[in-house]
Amino acid sequence: MYFLNEIERKMFLKKMLPKARVLDVDDELRGWNWHQPPLAPAYEERLAVYEVSNTYCSTHRDLYVRRVLKTRINPNYFMISGKAFHQIVVSVIEHAKKLIYFHGPTPQGRLTSALRQAFEISWPSEVNMLTEEQKNDLTNKGKCLAEYEQGRILARVEEVLTQQPYIGADALVHLTVPVVCEHKLDGRFLGLSQYLSADAFMMSDPMVMDIKFGSPRKFHRLSTTGYALAMEALYEMPVNLGCICYGEFKNGQLIVNRDMHLIDDELRQWFIESRDEKMRMIYEEIDPGLADDCQETCPAYEECH
Amino acid sequence: MNLKVTDIKQYIYCPRIIYFLYICPVSKKTTYKMESGKVEHMVLDKLEERRTLKRYRLAEGERVFHTYLESERIGLQGKLDMHIVVDKQYYPVEYKFTERSASLNHKYQLVSYAMLLEDYYRCTVRNGLLYLVPKNEIIPVEITPNAREFVYEIIDKIRQIIRSERVPERQRKVNKCRDCEYRRFCGDIDIWTKERVDKCIF
Repeated sequence: MYFLNEIERKMFLKKMLPKARVLDVDDELRGWNWHQPPLAPAYEERLAVYEVSNTYCSTHRDLYVRRVLKTRINPNYFMISGKAFHQIVVSVIEHAKKLIYFHGPTPQGRLTSALRQAFEISWPSEVNMLTEEQKNDLTNKGKCLAEYEQGRILARVEEVLTQQPYIGADALVHLTVPVVCEHKLDGRFLGLSQYLSADAFMMSDPMVMDIKFGSPRKFHRLSTTGYALAMEALYEMPVNLGCICYGEFKNGQLIVNRDMHLIDDELRQWFIESRDEKMRMIYEEIDPGLADDCQETCPAYEECH
Repeated sequence: MNLKVTDIKQYIYCPRIIYFLYICPVSKKTTYKMESGKVEHMVLDKLEERRTLKRYRLAEGERVFHTYLESERIGLQGKLDMHIVVDKQYYPVEYKFTERSASLNHKYQLVSYAMLLEDYYRCTVRNGLLYLVPKNEIIPVEITPNAREFVYEIIDKIRQIIRSERVPERQRKVNKCRDCEYRRFCGDIDIWTKERVDKCIF
């Protein structure tokens, strides 16, 4: 999911990276200025990045139900499948890294045949809440995703091994899978959770990455923005690029699209505004009311109606 | 009703200014900064007419001063300090007399003018220029789709304030209140002790 294809790499190298290098972000919107407004949080609530960014409910009443009314919300199919797919991607990447370290690069055949073996998928416990039909659907999609991810990693390993005959295991891992999965971040400087988890941070193409399964929405970019701000606050270095990897299944086939974007002034302001608005809603216990376009698939639908 | 480009600038500086401009007009005290700004503007206009475009990193082009721009479509109007025309390319230029660096409200004021220029000339404006006069520094600003969208959002928010007639939250940077011409009218701000009174007097 995280590895760019030829066209995307060209786009990254010729357009996004040069733009990111000269991106002029107002200093007050840089994460390292977390100690003063507008970045300094006005309330003591702690929010997860997905809580700030998600706008599936236009009035954010889903957040109110969970955080103010303290109602336990059962996840819907989309949430469960999303969690499962995330877990698969992470597991495949971690498994591949383990195999590279375990077998080492030579002889080549041993490592590549180990990487080719079918991957045992472990499912999150929430899968048990689904119907049989949904479970089967999820199993097929999960297999498809795991095979795709395995194939991509295997191809990269073989390519590097054919170019670098004297490479060691550690360098091979970093050249073939240059990605940190579930990158842990402490977001307390920004009024965010202490246990943030960015889907991935790419070392080779320095950008924050996030996986989404479903239709692209504008507010998805707020997740990468939140993680970028948290990184800037922690590491005092600029993070100007984000990428959302969209996975979609059509006729049993995985379709992947990537939305590379600059984390500019506008996104940063949008994130801060959304954070402040939601923090205030929780702190003041303001019921935002029902949305005009309530979706029955919303996990808080029953509670709201 | 069209909003003014300066409203965009004011909203980003502090949303409450919009309330004092449209809902509860007050006789504001003109600050020294505003007075000296007007004078410096006039002096600069005279100087600009004689200067080359080297400081803008342009070899040649035509300067156009104080164009009144208006767009029903965008819902904005305003008078642009200057714009430069080079072979059907248009660069809006805003003079700023600030000792500090350019801030976000200046950026979006320039983006707003760029959008108005696009309607005026029926063209695409890719870059604008902020001229920080005291530092004699030119800051190029790229006019991105996100920045344009952001301006539209601000226009909506300003209209929302006008429609609801409610006092918006003030901005949280107390330093901004020091130079604000409306500071005497904000009942919940004490800029010297940085204390906030919970209830607004309005």
